[in-house]
Amino acid sequence: MLRRLSLRLVLAVALLWAAGSLGFVMTQLAPGDAALADVGPGAVEAREALRARLGLDAPLSVRYQRWLTGVVQGSLGHSVLFERPVVDVLRERMVNTAALALAALLVGSLLGVPLGVYSGTHPSAIGTRCIRGASALFVSIPSLLLALVLVLVSARTGWLPVGGMTGAAAASSLLGLIIDRLSHLTVPALALALPLAAMLEHTQAQAMADVSSMRVIDGARARGLSRRAAVWRHAWPLSLGTVLPVYGVLAGSLFGGAVAVEAVTAWPGLGRLMLDAVRARDAALLAGAAMTATALLAVITQGIEALAAWRDPRTGTDA
Amino acid sequence: MASTRPPRFLLTVLLIAAVAGTAYLLWRDVRPAAPPQVPGATDGPPARGGRLVVGLRSEPRSFNRHVAAAAFTDVFTHLTQARLVRIHRQTGELEPLLAESWTIAPDGHHFTLQLRRNVQWSDGTPFTADDVVFSVEAAFDPALKSVLAASLRVDGQPWEVRALDTHSVALAFAAPFGPGLRLLDLLPVLPKHRLEAARRDGTWATAWNPATPPAEIAGLGPFQLAGYEPGQRVVLTRNPHYWRTAPDGAALPYLDEVVLEIATDASTELLRLQTGQLDMLQQALRAEDVATLQPQVDSGAVSLVDLGVSTDPDAFVFNLRPEFWARDPRAPWATSRALRQALSHAVNREQLANAVFLGEAVPVWGPVTPGNTRWFSPNVPRYAPDPARARALLASVGLEQRDDDPWLEDTAGRDARLSVLTFRGGTQLERALAFVREAAAAIGVALDPVPLETNALIERMVTGDFESLFFSYSTSDLDPALTRDFWLSSGSSHLWHMAQPAPATAWEAEIDRLMARQASTTDEAERVRLFAEVQRVLAEEVPVLYFVAPRLSMGVGRRVRQLSPSVLRPHLLWAADSIGVTP
Repeated sequence: MLRRLSLRLVLAVALLWAAGSLGFVMTQLAPGDAALADVGPGAVEAREALRARLGLDAPLSVRYQRWLTGVVQGSLGHSVLFERPVVDVLRERMVNTAALALAALLVGSLLGVPLGVYSGTHPSAIGTRCIRGASALFVSIPSLLLALVLVLVSARTGWLPVGGMTGAAAASSLLGLIIDRLSHLTVPALALALPLAAMLEHTQAQAMADVSSMRVIDGARARGLSRRAAVWRHAWPLSLGTVLPVYGVLAGSLFGGAVAVEAVTAWPGLGRLMLDAVRARDAALLAGAAMTATALLAVITQGIEALAAWRDPRTGTDA
Repeated sequence: MASTRPPRFLLTVLLIAAVAGTAYLLWRDVRPAAPPQVPGATDGPPARGGRLVVGLRSEPRSFNRHVAAAAFTDVFTHLTQARLVRIHRQTGELEPLLAESWTIAPDGHHFTLQLRRNVQWSDGTPFTADDVVFSVEAAFDPALKSVLAASLRVDGQPWEVRALDTHSVALAFAAPFGPGLRLLDLLPVLPKHRLEAARRDGTWATAWNPATPPAEIAGLGPFQLAGYEPGQRVVLTRNPHYWRTAPDGAALPYLDEVVLEIATDASTELLRLQTGQLDMLQQALRAEDVATLQPQVDSGAVSLVDLGVSTDPDAFVFNLRPEFWARDPRAPWATSRALRQALSHAVNREQLANAVFLGEAVPVWGPVTPGNTRWFSPNVPRYAPDPARARALLASVGLEQRDDDPWLEDTAGRDARLSVLTFRGGTQLERALAFVREAAAAIGVALDPVPLETNALIERMVTGDFESLFFSYSTSDLDPALTRDFWLSSGSSHLWHMAQPAPATAWEAEIDRLMARQASTTDEAERVRLFAEVQRVLAEEVPVLYFVAPRLSMGVGRRVRQLSPSVLRPHLLWAADSIGVTP
């Protein structure tokens, strides 16, 4: 057990190093630099001074060594774009992305799981056909496109704000603040949640069909339970062995989708931060964001794996 | 027993009807239409109070104009700082601001400025001549390397400045300078009491950065920084000590608050304007955006504000650095004037304006457009669409049809082919380039586009690593003496061959000579005559091809009142103290 944990820890550190290094080096190799973006092409002296201040006049190997030394010592460096420590910027954005991802996960689960249970246990109902059709639609639409459609719908209807995380006017009460946040969260969360719900529905339906074939429901009903109780109390828990591991995969696609959705909906999260960092050639910020996203993904994947192992100890062994 | 469940086909029909109904509702914009806009209502009397919400495409990098040249810093400076004088963006006239009067010595380059009394910084500290001296010295301090220094120097020299008393300043340029005190429009006056320590202890570059607490940033402009939420917005509130008043004596500014909402995506920003989340954008609309906004314009929710003809035409730049072409056998024709003039003859500018800008553009043959009414010269060589003349010019440098492909070849059989760098994602620019490529192909010249991200393109331009490039740039000032960086062969914005130690060609030496005379005389008529000559020489040599200058318009929400639109940036916020909104 200890050996296994150690191995995973080493792998996690290697993954973080690879993600950060790749982000840092690729940004530094791209043409143009932060000084150019800041002072423009005309002011030559000011640009050279800024390059020197930011350390951009040193060779790439020296810049990389400085950055890596900082990381080993616990510092992710200084953001050129925000003129602040990278850690401070990441802390703010991580919370925003986490809020968005959790909301999407919650909405996706609340939609996908019950619909999957229904369609898995009512294979020939017309409702199931509708659900399957919608699932097929949302699974095949990328989050970026869905975000654009939702933004367009919001714009045409005026029902929801089309960008940002909060309104320009400060909320005057707690209730107003909550409503403001929720209204801004709806579009990006739905853009991520609907494909997620479709995938969950599909997996859950398959798992329920498999469990149903084990005559679990018939047995429970023979003992006097209603059909609904038999499904939810006996069949559904058994299906989780198949559904829970899928969350690990979904977490990955969630982060991938978040980059595009955050850009379209102006949600100030890690994904949009990475885009801004690339545009501004902020190597330390991009490396830090890549490492944070990798770490978050690793933690979520491991957490889900642990949950699945707890649910079914057979899935936790290496054998 | 008969079934009570509805037949399946009925449910299916109902489902389809529901989906179709919802789609129809969304298609026909379910929002209630606003009352039709009264023509000219945006010029109505402003109400005091309210919040103006404006789009912002980038995160702030610095609040100090001496440190950053980015668009945000320029806008922020207009909103929060003041200058000694300003050039009225509509009339072009010089207006007194912090300097309420001045005298000019007979030599034309010594000035005495009388400063406005009873003016306070936004933190309540009195404004004095020491602040002016501090600001000028900061601009030219070699240790601070201000981004403004190059534009402010006269004859390559810094200004001399000294305080005569608490409210008068003596200012001297190294030589007579055509624009005279108009140069002061470029220099925001900064608070000595807030920034002197940073100048002294070497933290100038990071003072007033986005992490600086708003209370530490003081200004003499209509607004003051109240907060910055990274990734979301910059909030500015009324400066309680602002010193300007309206002609009727009302205190300015009218607005309580200006909010700059950050959205780096242009389409999202436009949608936010359509939905009323933004009152205005900072960028002029693209031709296709005007069509997108039409329903809102028709319903009165948005007004289109005409700015006039842009002063920033598109530019097709040829690389004329000898060192770039030194080992390239194409050099004789690739750097020839004949090729440049042939391409100019190949493009039908009227058709380009119609096809790409939907008619909202005017043909141009030089960098100074009709939008720059004071300096535009119509008497420059024009290149009428003439494919036959273009082919004859190409033949004069050995480019002729020598095989079966559509391209001309030089005497060694190499295709007449150039790569063209351009901005990735600039839809209007990309479509214009597609038009130019077709026109060039019609005379047998192949142009291979290379779309690059902005930063990468500028890097290639600055290092001279390109064969040609097609882009659009912002003119920083309309007065040619203030854009010498572009005209002079030694300039760092002399696009086709930057920072030459000595003029590489006779015509560049001629332009240098004319520009030096133009900048050093204070005789306005003579300046206009000399600059018309500069424009003629450039149009003959065409190191840069100019095709069209778009007519600019901006989308503004119906709440906004009393705008003073200008073709210069910032188009609307340069006079933010006069803008109001209806509650």
